[in-house]
Amino acid sequence: MSESRIHGIVLSGVGGQGVLSLAQILLEALRRSGLHALQSEIHGMSQRGGSVHAQVCYSKVPLTSPILDEGGADLLIALEPLEALRYVSMVRMDGHLVVSEEPQMDMAGYPPLDDVYAALKAVRGAHLVDTEDLARRLNHRQAGGMALLGMASRFLPIEDDTWREVIAQRFETKGARVTEKNLEAFEAGRGLIHDPVGA
Amino acid sequence: MTQSTLALGVEAVGCAAFDAGIKGAFGYPGTPSTEGFEAVELLIHGARDGRVAQWAANEKVAYDLALGLSYTGHRALVTMKHVGLNVAMDAFANSALTGVRGGLVLLVADDPGMHSSQNEQDSRRLAEFAWLPCLEPSTVQECYDFTFRAFELSETLQVPVMLRIVTRLAHCRATLARRATQPPATLGLAPESTIQDWVLIPSNARRRYVDLLDKQPRLMAETTPLNRLVPGTVRRGVALAGMGRAYFGQLLHENPGLSALPRLEIAAYPVDPALEQAFLSQVDEVVVFEEDYPVLEERLGLRGTAAVRGRLDGALPRTGELSPRLLKRALDLEPPTGKAAISLDLPVRAPRFCDGCGHVDAYGAVQQALANVGAPDARVFGDIGCYTLAAQEPMAAIHAVVEMGASISMAVGAALAGQTPAVAVIGDSTFGHSGLPALLTAADAGVNVTVVILDNRVVGMTGQQPSQALDQVERMVRGMGIADDQLQVLLPVPKQHEANVAAMVAALRHPGPSVVVFRRECIQSIRRGVLKEHDREEKARQETACCGAEVRP
Repeated sequence: MSESRIHGIVLSGVGGQGVLSLAQILLEALRRSGLHALQSEIHGMSQRGGSVHAQVCYSKVPLTSPILDEGGADLLIALEPLEALRYVSMVRMDGHLVVSEEPQMDMAGYPPLDDVYAALKAVRGAHLVDTEDLARRLNHRQAGGMALLGMASRFLPIEDDTWREVIAQRFETKGARVTEKNLEAFEAGRGLIHDPVGA
Repeated sequence: MTQSTLALGVEAVGCAAFDAGIKGAFGYPGTPSTEGFEAVELLIHGARDGRVAQWAANEKVAYDLALGLSYTGHRALVTMKHVGLNVAMDAFANSALTGVRGGLVLLVADDPGMHSSQNEQDSRRLAEFAWLPCLEPSTVQECYDFTFRAFELSETLQVPVMLRIVTRLAHCRATLARRATQPPATLGLAPESTIQDWVLIPSNARRRYVDLLDKQPRLMAETTPLNRLVPGTVRRGVALAGMGRAYFGQLLHENPGLSALPRLEIAAYPVDPALEQAFLSQVDEVVVFEEDYPVLEERLGLRGTAAVRGRLDGALPRTGELSPRLLKRALDLEPPTGKAAISLDLPVRAPRFCDGCGHVDAYGAVQQALANVGAPDARVFGDIGCYTLAAQEPMAAIHAVVEMGASISMAVGAALAGQTPAVAVIGDSTFGHSGLPALLTAADAGVNVTVVILDNRVVGMTGQQPSQALDQVERMVRGMGIADDQLQVLLPVPKQHEANVAAMVAALRHPGPSVVVFRRECIQSIRRGVLKEHDREEKARQETACCGAEVRP
């Protein structure tokens, strides 16, 4: 990663999907990796089923700006395909997108799904995952977010052990079983990106 | 001893207030200020050392609670959003004249860009209006450090101190280094010799106003060390405050050439004119980056010595938030290009009512009843809360939303002009906040107004904080003078729709004021079990009271 540049991740989804929770895991993992990191989020009414987005900035030099410029994000993590499309221009030319294919269509005027997928697939660096199918296979209804984080981990300067620690800590109060299921989902996502450099 | 933790900017203020030894924290929920109170509340509940954290019925009450606590010699924090300060303005402005005993810090969170507010007013103007100091941090750590500073300043100068933050900083999460926690200390009651300072009858108030004005040079001497002038090597400079300071600081890392620009960095108000003069003598042109109103921009522009650029001359948009991109544009820096935006039309995904929310059923009954009484021009005056979402299509169930409590008074005003039936829709917490005096007037005016109270038993929108009207709405309504037979309590569920419509129709047809309470707990609150313990205790209490009555002779 760059010595002076501000790096960034945009997270997007729909209120209630856990966007802010994922952002906090990322922030903690970056912090434990010895990087300067900030997270920005917007609360309030948007949480009531509207679009939600958060940003995580990280850098080797101290940070003061909690928000990224357009074209300033290295990575977009989207829990919903339409919500991914809104932020494509936030991503650097050489940046990546990890996107759940699972649509949340309870809104007026949702475009035809085929158009949404086609638009996403046309973006260089986009990696789509069928989180619905993954959740079924792992028998874990909420596997999607962790799987996306696993995919994202292939593009981030964070060690394996750090991820495991942070995820384990996040689910500490919910018991060993929940932690295990989430680590499993993370690993499953991680396995979906084979060649992060050339991807 | 310091400890490192992750915190939101607004939480950092709460942590600092706790660590600075406050005795009490007060507030009324409002995005983006809410988590500041919640952070200090959590610490206070954990400490069990006699400190208090108390939500208030509204911001004015919260501010007066803080002032009363300060009177006893203790430190107090009071939190609110920018428009909440309008409600507390009477207390705030007059507390400048009384002064404080224990340090009093007001955390006010502004919302440039109106992420969740009805305006983007600038609280710095209100600090200036009240002749009080205002500190403006730009990072999470500064939120913490400046809060300590604010308490010290407040006790040194014996005035309340405002700490102004904005949404982006309030909701920025970062590493925070905390200091050792000071136990709450007290300076003791305001001495008897100063009692007259607190009694703002005109003879005292005239004297105290002169005292406040006389204090201004000292105030400036205390705020000036937080502001600084960084010389440059070119005649084009920047003046920075708040997030302007944060964004420019970031740009400096990426564009070291920007260090050639002289810069005026403002973190505290009032600003010393000598500092402004020194800065202006170094530049022919200055770009001002500050959030909300062009406060510095106007001050610097008035001197007429340099071309001042910013929101007033179009170098920056007149409204809305600053952003790194806006800074780059105004400084003629090349903004980065990202991937091409998607050409597909992307409709907005607006926030909406939660599945199963009782408000939806209540609005269904209100709209059907209005249709049934044949009032095509009927107007429904709304208020501030989740239920404001009903203003959106396709529901379009409310036709005005202004500020906390306005629904009832506006409906009465419209009814007085002959616009009947007039309907007000207000939540239980908003009713307690400022609906009560309006209902008192409604009862007195005697016009055909139907006040619909959506009682979800919590402050829903800001995160299900406790509502002070809990279990008391009927008593409050009766106490304001509404007749028993004009008060109905309904359960907003689909099964009750017909009965609810009928009850609403009766209320609309009644020629005088009537109140319809739709009561069902917020669905999020149920999910989180917010009131579980309360309801269990209440049930046990009622059973005990009931048994007690039976055995009594």
